[in-house]
Amino acid sequence: MNVLFVCAGGMSSAIVVKALKEEGKKHGQDLHVHAIGSNEVAEEINNNWDVCMVAPQIRHRFKQINQQATEAGVPCEAIPPQAYTPMGGPLLYKTLNELVE
Amino acid sequence: MSKFVNFLENNLSAPMARLSEQRHLLAVRDGVISSLPFIIVGSFFLIFAFPPLPESWAITQWAAEHAADILIPYRMTMFIMSLYVAFGIGYNLAKSYKVDPLSGAQIAVAALLLTITPSVVEELGFVLPMQYLGGHGLFVTIIVSIISVEIFRVCKQKRITIKLPEQVPSSVSRSFEALIPVAIVIFLMTLITVVMGVNLHHLVDKIAAPLVTAGDSLFGVLVPVFLITFFWSFGIHGVSVVGSVARPLWEVYLVNNSEAAANGAATLPHIAPETFYQWFIWIGGSGATLGLVIAMLLFARSKYMKNLGKTVIVPSLFNINEPVIFGMPIVLNPLLIIPFIVTPLITATLSYFVVSFGWITPTYIMPPWTLPAPIGAYLSTGGDWRAVVLVLVNITISVLIYLPFFRLYDKKMIAMEQDDSTNTVQN
Repeated sequence: MNVLFVCAGGMSSAIVVKALKEEGKKHGQDLHVHAIGSNEVAEEINNNWDVCMVAPQIRHRFKQINQQATEAGVPCEAIPPQAYTPMGGPLLYKTLNELVE
Repeated sequence: MSKFVNFLENNLSAPMARLSEQRHLLAVRDGVISSLPFIIVGSFFLIFAFPPLPESWAITQWAAEHAADILIPYRMTMFIMSLYVAFGIGYNLAKSYKVDPLSGAQIAVAALLLTITPSVVEELGFVLPMQYLGGHGLFVTIIVSIISVEIFRVCKQKRITIKLPEQVPSSVSRSFEALIPVAIVIFLMTLITVVMGVNLHHLVDKIAAPLVTAGDSLFGVLVPVFLITFFWSFGIHGVSVVGSVARPLWEVYLVNNSEAAANGAATLPHIAPETFYQWFIWIGGSGATLGLVIAMLLFARSKYMKNLGKTVIVPSLFNINEPVIFGMPIVLNPLLIIPFIVTPLITATLSYFVVSFGWITPTYIMPPWTLPAPIGAYLSTGGDWRAVVLVLVNITISVLIYLPFFRLYDKKMIAMEQDDSTNTVQN
């Protein structure tokens, strides 16, 4: 599954990306996760992503990103703050799976 | 308490954060950010020209003799940053209107260049005064870039363009579509600069002068510092919101300081460029949370805090602290929000006085923000070892302020963990 992460500069999500990948492995799922900054969404969103997840610290931009994702036909969801930590893998994985269903 | 927090979130932080998403602010923000690589790389040539080494060394003397040559890459990048910013604003604003971004960028550059009058110099011919393309020109750049792209997109949307038959290739027809708006912008700018003889840069400099002074005052430092941690207390990226408005001003300070340094000035004009905040205040990220993480590593007794301390220390050293802010969490957690807001206000005040007394060189070089603070502060001040001392003092202060609050929170966590374990035993 291809997961697109959006945060302010693409830096902080990199840490959370690792947590999500490890959680995916535990469930025997190989996740391809890529973190980008919010101003790269327009260019990146059409490159074959299954889901788009938005970091909590830029939730004031969620509406705009959600619109771009919806136009591209990619389901989009905000990441809950409790999941946005190095130890938030399980919750993040759950959020992801709920989004895909 | 939670009612009060909800009230603040719904009536203050959320609307303000949305305000920063305004189309033109967003274009200015992305335009300025797009120029940062050139500022970062360009500013490093100032270190090469004035290396922080003993004056008696041969390499220092060689650099001093060749400073003008060494600084050429700096002059072509950071020194004329407004040219890069105009392109960036024009591009991003046009893109947000879904009109051709390249045309938008080019029109903005043309409008900026037409605010300057070239002069004729013997042997060289026409020469463009570069000073107006630097920090001094940034406000004019923002204004003319926005106006010219607005003209462009209004023409496009009202179809005031020259239409060519469909058989013409799209690249050709696109350049014809920009013909009328380009003509309007060029006539308008020529009218102002040449016919009326107005120097927009002098005019805007005068209007902006009070703002430039205010932003560099102690109050002008404490307000953004407070707002940034205030936004983060609700889990909103504070620098990204506040920076949308304040960053142009911060870059003006930085570029002015670097210009003075390149000219060999003894004192630099500004205290508070963005680098001041980055290296002296946001040590470990917004809220100076490296102090909190150190307190966590040294004194944590609960399992959760011990684990968290180990996982967040490395990103914290590189000023990435979302894992701390959301992991503790600090967000919507009154007990930790207090030191999170208070600590930076205190270290900011101290740093402001230390720099304004001339005990430390003001920052004028922009190292990448992910460097550990002592290294970043050292490079940013052109190699002033006293800046490293200030960073270490500020880290100590932040550990001391965070510690009592952290201990209280840690105790709560221990109590919760014990509750959990007794519950599981009973179940």
